[in-house]
Amino acid sequence: MAGELAWFIANILPYITLAVMTLALVYNFVKWLVIPRPVVWALFPAKHNTVDILIGIVKKIFVLPGPRKVDISVWILAMLFHIGLIISLSFHAKYILLPSLGPVEYYLGAAAGIAAAIGTIGFFIRRIDMAKTKVDSTFADYFALILLMATLTIGAYLRIGGIMDHEHMWLWVRGILTLSPVDPPTHPIFLVHITLAQIYMMYLPFKTLIHPIAILFGQKVVLDERHIYPR
Amino acid sequence: MVEERTIEKTEEKVVEIPKWRRVFDDYRAMSDEILRPDEPKKEKFLEAMKKSLSKQNWPFLLPYKLTLEACTKCGTCAEACSTYIGSGRKKIYSPVYRSDMLRKIYKKHFTLTGKLFGSLVGAKDPTEEDINALAEAVYRCTVCRRCALACPFGLDNGLITREARKIFADIGIVPDELKENGVENQLKYGSAPKVPYEAFMDILEFIKEDIEEEKGIEVEIPVDKKGAKYLIMNNAGDYLAFTETVQGIVEIMNYLGEDWTLNSPRTGVNDVVNYGLFYSDEDLVRVMKAHVETAKKLDVEYLVVGECGHAYDALAHFAKDLIPPEERPFKVISWMELLDQFIREKRLKLDKEKNPEPVTFHDSCKWGRTGGIYEEPRRILQAACKDFREMYPNREWNYCCGGGSGFAIMTKDDFLKFRMETYGKVKVEQLKQTGAKIVATICSNCKGQFRELINYYKLDMRFSGVSELVANALVYED
Repeated sequence: MAGELAWFIANILPYITLAVMTLALVYNFVKWLVIPRPVVWALFPAKHNTVDILIGIVKKIFVLPGPRKVDISVWILAMLFHIGLIISLSFHAKYILLPSLGPVEYYLGAAAGIAAAIGTIGFFIRRIDMAKTKVDSTFADYFALILLMATLTIGAYLRIGGIMDHEHMWLWVRGILTLSPVDPPTHPIFLVHITLAQIYMMYLPFKTLIHPIAILFGQKVVLDERHIYPR
Repeated sequence: MVEERTIEKTEEKVVEIPKWRRVFDDYRAMSDEILRPDEPKKEKFLEAMKKSLSKQNWPFLLPYKLTLEACTKCGTCAEACSTYIGSGRKKIYSPVYRSDMLRKIYKKHFTLTGKLFGSLVGAKDPTEEDINALAEAVYRCTVCRRCALACPFGLDNGLITREARKIFADIGIVPDELKENGVENQLKYGSAPKVPYEAFMDILEFIKEDIEEEKGIEVEIPVDKKGAKYLIMNNAGDYLAFTETVQGIVEIMNYLGEDWTLNSPRTGVNDVVNYGLFYSDEDLVRVMKAHVETAKKLDVEYLVVGECGHAYDALAHFAKDLIPPEERPFKVISWMELLDQFIREKRLKLDKEKNPEPVTFHDSCKWGRTGGIYEEPRRILQAACKDFREMYPNREWNYCCGGGSGFAIMTKDDFLKFRMETYGKVKVEQLKQTGAKIVATICSNCKGQFRELINYYKLDMRFSGVSELVANALVYED
């Protein structure tokens, strides 16, 4: 039974996750894309051409000038979380291609995982505090954060603890990518980690966690070209 | 209906001043006649909200739905909001809290997850009290959109405020200052304060006499001149309360000998305000079209928007998207752009020594964040004033004064106190830090708010339009 569950989590659920996430992301992207936007209510200084708009969006996504200006605590937490997550995911991706774990990957990967986990813990505490000062959060808001916190903390633990047999893990990853699944690693903490990660990925395109897509449309709305003198 | 009473002592007797029932906070923006707090309105509200979420609301559907759905409630917007900061960080004044009042209803009635999971995802069926509270809550935000600038996702709580106002307007709940005494009067009489032709001409005569007395020069004030190059349309407030601004414009245009004109109510609408911008797309377009018709009737080359921020937003930006180009055969330009152009062309000889006092500039939200006019007034003031100093933060990060979106003319109940004790508190701190003796601004609503702020906080400074400072610095050749 335990073996069947591990097989399902490690070899079947990834395909379900990929399908759900892709379809939902495409649905959401198209949903926002087809809504007409004949009136532009930009915020100045607005951008004047598509290249500037795209550069502006990228800057807004990676530098977060708004939070940095008005609420440094959000900015620090967001930076910890996002940079940590990006580095962690990059190392995950790199690992699929080159199944080695040198000291750089080990220390930097561990640090990135810890940073991302600290970011989510900070957001969790902030959310509790915001119920008194700014706005109430819902179960769904907390659920998303708990999922992230648990996934990242366990991931950091797996990396620091050196628990995994990397040769075995790479064979498993290659099996999934080549549609030839093999027996997965069965360490329970690893299975919990990938289960939570997959639930999160499926949950991601729904509700407020759609913001990776929303940000493209939202920032475009406020950065869009406006009317330049003379009209 | 009257639940609370305050007592004010006068010399003769004790006067009881009734207060309307509190439905959201300690203030009321709308009277009982407008809000009708005891009248059930949930069904009508939901019907109007359904319409607002349909293609009938085509101009703003994307940013509206996006903001309702994609907000993660990170709370960044709160720290950008001067009502929230000025109130001592009261939860009810945070932009995300206000939007969430509408979002809860949206989730409950218009989303599958809300219907399935209810409060777990933040959905809530509104009570009649919730609807009343929301109606007032949306008149605690000036739609300055500083929160939208700060939002890491580009979501717009200011737009949500405006959309909610539109829903309420659809069921007849709009402050009478904006609708009945604003838009309707303007369309009927040519100006919101119902200034008749004769009175308007008298005002211009007074302005002419004042210039002649103060400067010893004779000026012409062309009115309703057909085919002029520039039609300068001013805010009615500038004709009635802040006449120095119109006086400044008249003097500058005479100095230049430009081909220009003002217009009287006889030509259609001579008050450039457009309160429809604050609460309704339909009324926004009605007023916009009246402005366009007036400019067409006078066959001018440029419609110049005087010192009125929201009018510029309406005519320069919204009109471009909402009125086809062939129906507006003239260019729209702001008085600031034009004045800046005259100065850069060195057509105005100015002596800064004539304005020796330290001057700071307040970036009005509608001129700045939603208008893009940041540098023109600065260049003008630097050319006309000896000691120009910036206010911090400035430009797109400037704080709203608290007079925006019609608040400057809303004083019912304790609403003036709300304006002073929230937005006003933040703005006054900014003003004090400059050490300036004059705060210059180019918006009639801002001027109205500064008048009250200076009085309320006993500030050792005065407010001014930019035009009068320039006119004051003019050097006449003998």
